[in-house]
Amino acid sequence: MSEYFIEIVNGVKTFLTGMKMTLQHYNNKEELVATLQYPHEKWPIPERNIGFENSEYNLIRSRLHVDIDDCIGCLQCEKVCPVDCIKIDTIKPPKGTDVDFGITSLDTQKKMLVTRFTIDMAECMYCNLCAYPCPEECIYMVGGPNEHKHEIDYEFSQYKRDGLIYEFADPTEDQLAEVGGESYVESRQSQKQKLEDGSNLEGVVEEEKKAVVVEDSKGSVKKEEDTGLTLAIFNDVGDKPARGIAKKAFQAAKRANMNFDAMADYVNGAINDSGKSSPEMTAAINVIRNFKDESVTINTPVKVSAESSSETPEFLEMASTNFDIKILNGIEDKMSRGIAKKAFTSAKRENLDANGKIDFIKKTLNEADKMTDEIDSLISTFAVSDVPPAVVAPEKEVEVEAEAELFDIKLLNDIDNKMARGSAKKVYMAGKRGNKSSSIVLTQIREVLNKAEMMNDDIDGLLKGIG
Amino acid sequence: MTSIVKSIIASFQAFPIDPFLLAVLAILIPGVIIFLIMAVNALIAVYFERKVSAFMQDRLGPMEVGLFGFKGGKKFWGGIGQTFADAIKLLSKEDIIPQDADKFLMIMAPFIIFTGAFLTFVGLPMSDSLVISNFNIGIFYIIAMSSVGVIGIILAGWSSNNKWSLYGAMRAAAQMISYEIPIALSLILVVLVSGHLDIHGIVQWQADNRWFILHSPFASLGFVIYFISVVAETNRTPFDIPEAESELVAGWMTEYSGFRWALFFLSEYANMLIVAFVASIVFLGGWLSPFQLIDLPFIDIFPESWLVLDGTVFGIFWLFIKAVILIFCMMWFRWTFPRLRVDQLMYVCWKIFIPFALANVILVSIWELIF
Ligand code: SF4
Ligand code: SF4
Repeated sequence: MSEYFIEIVNGVKTFLTGMKMTLQHYNNKEELVATLQYPHEKWPIPERNIGFENSEYNLIRSRLHVDIDDCIGCLQCEKVCPVDCIKIDTIKPPKGTDVDFGITSLDTQKKMLVTRFTIDMAECMYCNLCAYPCPEECIYMVGGPNEHKHEIDYEFSQYKRDGLIYEFADPTEDQLAEVGGESYVESRQSQKQKLEDGSNLEGVVEEEKKAVVVEDSKGSVKKEEDTGLTLAIFNDVGDKPARGIAKKAFQAAKRANMNFDAMADYVNGAINDSGKSSPEMTAAINVIRNFKDESVTINTPVKVSAESSSETPEFLEMASTNFDIKILNGIEDKMSRGIAKKAFTSAKRENLDANGKIDFIKKTLNEADKMTDEIDSLISTFAVSDVPPAVVAPEKEVEVEAEAELFDIKLLNDIDNKMARGSAKKVYMAGKRGNKSSSIVLTQIREVLNKAEMMNDDIDGLLKGIG
Repeated sequence: MTSIVKSIIASFQAFPIDPFLLAVLAILIPGVIIFLIMAVNALIAVYFERKVSAFMQDRLGPMEVGLFGFKGGKKFWGGIGQTFADAIKLLSKEDIIPQDADKFLMIMAPFIIFTGAFLTFVGLPMSDSLVISNFNIGIFYIIAMSSVGVIGIILAGWSSNNKWSLYGAMRAAAQMISYEIPIALSLILVVLVSGHLDIHGIVQWQADNRWFILHSPFASLGFVIYFISVVAETNRTPFDIPEAESELVAGWMTEYSGFRWALFFLSEYANMLIVAFVASIVFLGGWLSPFQLIDLPFIDIFPESWLVLDGTVFGIFWLFIKAVILIFCMMWFRWTFPRLRVDQLMYVCWKIFIPFALANVILVSIWELIF
């Protein structure tokens, strides 16, 4: 019986002990609550010590960050990454131009513009290997020992995987224009446009499609050309390199919306330049000329420009595309060239037509007191009403084609003499940087080799074979 | 002694109104009031419980959901809108009835349980003369009605066709029926002493003499037995073996979801409120102000009722304060003690509470005879 009461007393005692305990916790909530309100409050990630000084090795595993202003574009980090998740593109200013990219925080002169610096954090394995070789210490994991450079960020989850692709470089258009990266600007814009179109995609809308078709059949000269005249006309030509040259020239001429006469002349010129003329080629070129004769009744570009010189919107558009920023490279004075280019890009942004652009450039130059007769005549050449676009185009296109045409450096490996090979390659590289055409590079190689008295029949034959 | 039903009828007597319509109104208006009390109680009590439990376990509890742009302070009011969000979620949930369940009984069960809690409120005063209907057997009615729920629990467990549910229901029935006895034996003390089954009579007796808990040591013991027994009666931890999560998933509620489950929930918290009300009315002086207990020296200077904050309106306040303190204690129990085994539960009831309660009845009677 006493056991029964002792049990009850014990029960009451433990009962009270327990109650006291929880009440203490309840009353002490300010101190005791252990909950961390996660998105609002965060624990720092502890720095790990791997046996080195943290100050020497900025080791922490979090998100990569690049201080792009300090990046000199040396590609060390891209090369070292074991999973290839860093992609860097750079643009060097063309030779002779003098662009100041500024200095980094470690006092290194920057020599190029980093146009793209993408890190795919979905691929990254957080090995930190990219951080070590960077000479400017500008790529690093955020937080921890780098807290003073960038605050910690260990939560960058995304709903889609492409959200984990971080782009650190974002050069402005002005910067790009300065280093001659116009093509980059264009490709970037078209990429953006594509992305935008893609995200606005709502299936095919019937009506709109029809409207486009109507427009096409109304006035597009290019379309008719496409169906009438094709690259197939050159297929009879036996000489392969010659065929290639002719086809390229043909395409370029077509892009420039030349009439058939000019096109034939242009292709002929390209063939003669490379010394590849042959009877088959002449025949093919004649086909182009004759094609014009057959189809003279249909709208040819010449006709369009003659009939409705400047009111045809299509025509204007053509002209405006032909008035390219590269034309401005012909301006001698560096300062005025820079000013003109800037004016050109901003005019382009405002979608002015060629005349508008020219006026704008002239105005800007006048304001800067940089106008000379030379420049005036240079850009005025391109005013729409003065010159038909067909004449403008060839010059530009020749340049472009020449650039693309440069032969492969591997061909030079067949030169037996080591010294001669080295010099030839040097000339080649210089030529490539200067956007020279194959023929120019080849003649230069010849000159250099002749001077060094290393020229022999083998090399001569080889070079001829390339050209 | 007036009541809400009586005053409704009286106030509509002035208009020429169909007696049938009057009856409907007299039922409907109190019904809506009771339902509102139950719903609001559940909303507040759940939040209160979550916060209390969190603080006792060194957590913070709900902290994210605000209410109408109000996003409370750091600690207690942090997630004030949480239970509203939960209630909306609960009501929009899919209502699932298992294929092999006894559909009719399964649908009926929650309503029976809810009805038990609902009807109890009819005889339960909120303050002086603030009662839906004033019975002269009020305390008896309340004991009777609060036992209706056990039928619903057994139906729910049986109809679910689920072994956890059935086990839970069996345990619940055994437990609730057992604990009815010490509860009734403790409440009989006050009837014995005051000579009233009518709740207003009981409170009046306490106003004339003193709070019943202070009547005698045996009355205090009676309060302790009553309070612990009602915790078991409402199936709360440490006596929650009918829905022991670690053993029976959710006991007799396992197969319920959505609105039906919400009804269980509502009844559970309503039952908590009811037992806390009954305990405060019977043992703690009901709507009487605690200031009456203290013999203040300057009490004669002011009109008494003004100083001690008595009366119908303050009565509501005092009753709720007492109930809230008791509810806090129930939560305190819940987050302090581990769950009892079935045999321990029965041991506590049959071998400790019932003998003590019986002895109490005799001792209180003797005390009354002597003093
Ligand atoms: S941390 Fe490693 S895997 Fe990630 S980018 Fe750097 S080198 Fe590549
Ligand atoms: S190693 Fe550094 S400086 Fe070089 S490219 Fe990478 S980030 Fe730029």
